[in-house]
Amino acid sequence: MWATNAKIVALSLAVIGFYTLVAHIIPQLQSEVPAQVAVGPGASPEELAAAGERIYSTVCTACHGLGTRAPNLVTDHEGLGPIGARCLARFGDRCKDYLYHSLTAPGDSVVPGFANIMPDMRTQLDANQIWAVIAYLQSQGGEITVTSQDLESAPAQTAQPAAAAVLSATTDPRELLREKGCLGCHAIDGSGPPIGPPFDGIGSRLTREQIREGILNPNATVARGYEQFAGMMPPNFGDQLTAAQLEAIVNFLAGRR
Amino acid sequence: MTELLLLVQAAADTTGAYGHFPLIGARAAVWIAAEVHLMFAAFVLGVPMFAVITELIGIVGKDPKYDKLSKEFTRLLVFAYSATALWGAVLVFFLTTLYPRFWGHLTQIFGLSMWIYVGLFFAESFTLYLYYYGWDRWNAGRSKWFHWSLGVLLNVWGTIVMFIANGWLTYMMSPPEGATAQGLPPEVTMWGAIANATWMPINIHRLLGNAVFGGTVAAAYAAYRFLASKTPEERAHYDWMGYVGNFIAISVFIVLPFAGYWLGREIYAYDQSMGITMMGGFMSWLWVVQAVLIGVLFLAANYYLWIGMQRIPGAERFTPYTKWMLLVLVVCWIVWATPHTLIVTREEQAAMGGQFHPFLDVLGVMSAKNTAVNLMILTTFLSFLLYRRGNKRLTVEWARQGTMVQGAMFVIAAVVVVFFGIYGYFVPDTVRIGFSVYQVLSVLACIVGVTVVDLFLTRGAESKGEIRWGQMPERSQYALFILAVTFTWLMGLMGFARSGIRQHWHVWQVLPDTSPYASTPALGYAANMISLCVIVFLGLVAFIFWLGGLAERAFSKEQPAPGLSPQPAMGD
Amino acid sequence: MNRGASYYLKHPFWQAVLVLLASYVLVKWGIEYLPPALGSLVSLITEPLGLGRVNWPSAPVPRSIVVQYMLTVMVAILIYVSENEERWRRFKEPIRAVMVEPSLKNLRVALLILFPVLVGWATYQQAKGTVSAPVGLRTIHPAAPTQFTFRGRTVLLSELSNPLRTTGSLEEHYREGMRVYYQNCLPCHGDLLNGRGHFAHGFNPAPLPFDVSTIAQLSEAFVFWRIAKGGPGLPRESQPWNSAMPAWENILTEEEIWSVIVFLYEQAGVEPRRLTEEGGH
Repeated sequence: MWATNAKIVALSLAVIGFYTLVAHIIPQLQSEVPAQVAVGPGASPEELAAAGERIYSTVCTACHGLGTRAPNLVTDHEGLGPIGARCLARFGDRCKDYLYHSLTAPGDSVVPGFANIMPDMRTQLDANQIWAVIAYLQSQGGEITVTSQDLESAPAQTAQPAAAAVLSATTDPRELLREKGCLGCHAIDGSGPPIGPPFDGIGSRLTREQIREGILNPNATVARGYEQFAGMMPPNFGDQLTAAQLEAIVNFLAGRR
Repeated sequence: MTELLLLVQAAADTTGAYGHFPLIGARAAVWIAAEVHLMFAAFVLGVPMFAVITELIGIVGKDPKYDKLSKEFTRLLVFAYSATALWGAVLVFFLTTLYPRFWGHLTQIFGLSMWIYVGLFFAESFTLYLYYYGWDRWNAGRSKWFHWSLGVLLNVWGTIVMFIANGWLTYMMSPPEGATAQGLPPEVTMWGAIANATWMPINIHRLLGNAVFGGTVAAAYAAYRFLASKTPEERAHYDWMGYVGNFIAISVFIVLPFAGYWLGREIYAYDQSMGITMMGGFMSWLWVVQAVLIGVLFLAANYYLWIGMQRIPGAERFTPYTKWMLLVLVVCWIVWATPHTLIVTREEQAAMGGQFHPFLDVLGVMSAKNTAVNLMILTTFLSFLLYRRGNKRLTVEWARQGTMVQGAMFVIAAVVVVFFGIYGYFVPDTVRIGFSVYQVLSVLACIVGVTVVDLFLTRGAESKGEIRWGQMPERSQYALFILAVTFTWLMGLMGFARSGIRQHWHVWQVLPDTSPYASTPALGYAANMISLCVIVFLGLVAFIFWLGGLAERAFSKEQPAPGLSPQPAMGD
Repeated sequence: MNRGASYYLKHPFWQAVLVLLASYVLVKWGIEYLPPALGSLVSLITEPLGLGRVNWPSAPVPRSIVVQYMLTVMVAILIYVSENEERWRRFKEPIRAVMVEPSLKNLRVALLILFPVLVGWATYQQAKGTVSAPVGLRTIHPAAPTQFTFRGRTVLLSELSNPLRTTGSLEEHYREGMRVYYQNCLPCHGDLLNGRGHFAHGFNPAPLPFDVSTIAQLSEAFVFWRIAKGGPGLPRESQPWNSAMPAWENILTEEEIWSVIVFLYEQAGVEPRRLTEEGGH
């Protein structure tokens, strides 16, 4: 019987071994994880631009890719070339400052013909990622002037910290809605982009409690009809607003019946 | 947008999201636990299906042989059942400790269904115990039917349990729209997450696969007992059991590719890039390995049948045909396993004038492969038919015409398959895709048509002599082992394909894998893991079978077997 | 022991040996020479009928394929001889005889020496160093990316189609493509589009021919991506030897690339593949 057992074991192992061998003879391909878009100090301009391209193609092209909601930055515009070339021509050395400004305070430089819908990108990206996007934009026809000093000057790798630096103490709800970039997505007074549900009439749709919940934990519930934009609203307004500011906004919105 | 936010978040909270497993690493630990659990589960779900069917045949046909076989299947089940639960527990503990964040995500969504799952486990266990231990108590008249319905109930529980678990794992492949790392959007219920795009195809695919798997393992068990048996009666019984296991396995196996085709379509429909990864991307070579394995399955199954024909009086008249069937099978296998991109050296490449061989390239494309597979299925079916016909002398007056009709069906199906196979080269691929459907339909139609004709044809057929069960050379039993090992390995390979196409996602495009094991390994590494799992599984199964024999021997010493005297060593 | 040829022809062992040898000849040389020969034969009929010459090309068979096929044949032979009890017994006869028969002692000794030597020689052949490059395991048609950047512009492959198919005269595009081809592609891909230009022999991997087996399997968007990105743009699975093809986006304009694609498909006489869900390897 032991001879039979040994034969069975040997046969099974031989069959298993044969299949393993076949799988080893053929090309060995491993599917790699795409590189994470996290840039740290010491990144070269090229690395920055490459990382920025990835960020740009995932974050920005939702609006900038189509050229309808926002201008397409990487194509030629009125014969002046893509964004890097135009920016270099217009601002020279100050190009990167201009780009930084338009990413962090986009309302100040809205291209004619487009609505002011872009949020302050610091709510979406950390400082290094913003610099990476700038490097990528500069690489489009211009030259990359972002250096690692820009990176090091920013607190490294902390998600959305920079917003704290520009916090104002105002409790004027309209001021706050503008400053926090709410109006980048939500319409008010009948005008504005339709990315989030409009603020008009929100007080009759939601209770005070729901509004507060919606600001502090925006991804918990998604308004009907806005599923495609689920997850876009930054989940960190709780850190950005003081209690007084939050209550001011809640009161204001609850009053808009 | 959401993707990037997720990446950022993931980078932030990777700490605490993953545990560490010594020596082999977390992924390998979970891999082994999941795969071995799955193999046992497949066995435990597959065997009741035909335990119930054989019991029914026994009741209706009043043949105690079948009832005994059914009980023996069920005995394997009792042992394998606890192994399944054990490995399931190992898997859960590994997941909670090694992938806590991912597990938290799943429990948050599927918590309720997990409780139901556990509850059903109780129901299943108690039904199984009642079914097995009540066998002799409820063995006559109406109580036998009650006993049989217990078996049906066992299947129902098992199927629901599997469907629930399939809901979780198909959610990982094809989560419903709007799902995020935080959970489901409010408009999607838990049911919506369970009944996702690939749920039903996987359910059906696994249901069929389990039946095949249960059949092959049961056949291997019979083969082992055959080789170990000391009396001719024992040999006869286990020879017959091996035949039944193999018959079930191969007949279900024939339809398995169609279920796989459906699953593939659903994956493509859900996310094209996932489908491309599967068929054309880094996984494409996997299908060459699969071709090798399935070729072995077909050949081993036919080999077993051909050898078996020697113990059928009258089957000698068919032996001259086997070499031609072998030729068809081998040529088809060669065609199927010919890769599109060849492995060549620099010199050979220069001689060929490129990476493609101008002639062999013709065999590398889909048309040729579909044709080959369909012809292999037809040939295997023919083997079965000849085996069945072996000791029968037809007595119906239209026997000759009937056989000719059957032959014509085969020829028509083969011609249709070959015609579309060749014609496929001359049409654009959008048209060609439809051809595979015609090929499959003609083969299925042939199988159904021939079987129906055969049922009427063999009515009242005279026997040329009883099948001499037990008079089987030992070689044939080793073919059954090859079948079991190959199918187990194939299951491991297909499991790798299914979960590997998710690549670096725990939940496709929802929850990224940020562990050090996020990249999907190459086939060589996967093959090592699969082989390891197969060895662990088969080793445990051998142990369980051995235990079964031990218990049986101890039991039969105490009291002689009641009733079924021809097989004394099989006492209950 | 003097037996006639018919004895050996009917003996399973010698049948097996014969089949093995015949299969080897068929695999090693049959695949290489039979299709062209058959093509010529068929041409004898088709040419007088005015149907033109039939050309069934073939080439030497790579070793990996020979090994694979011969393994399969060996398995089949083993199945054949062992499938029948009587045949299996007779098959083993000569093997057994060589092992134990006193009269065959010389043969036995010779085999016992020869066999290890043969295994050793095969091992040596496998292990010895050669000057040739390791076996190339590239994927010729790599999985295309979903998008790529063409001159700084992000292009989605699934939305890419040949604009020249709908604008202007195809005839003109074809002529323009011909000019582009003969100015740029000819040195490698050859005058006959068969991948055998003047430079071709120096490259590994060799330049691809344009025919049914290559571009007919591909969509125009895929071809555009390959031309624009060339060897440097190949994904990882196409390594280790990326092709020497330049990234043409730096040299040709978008229109020029599209026109040369028009030329290639027209010249090869095939239709571009439309995007479908069919996979394959």
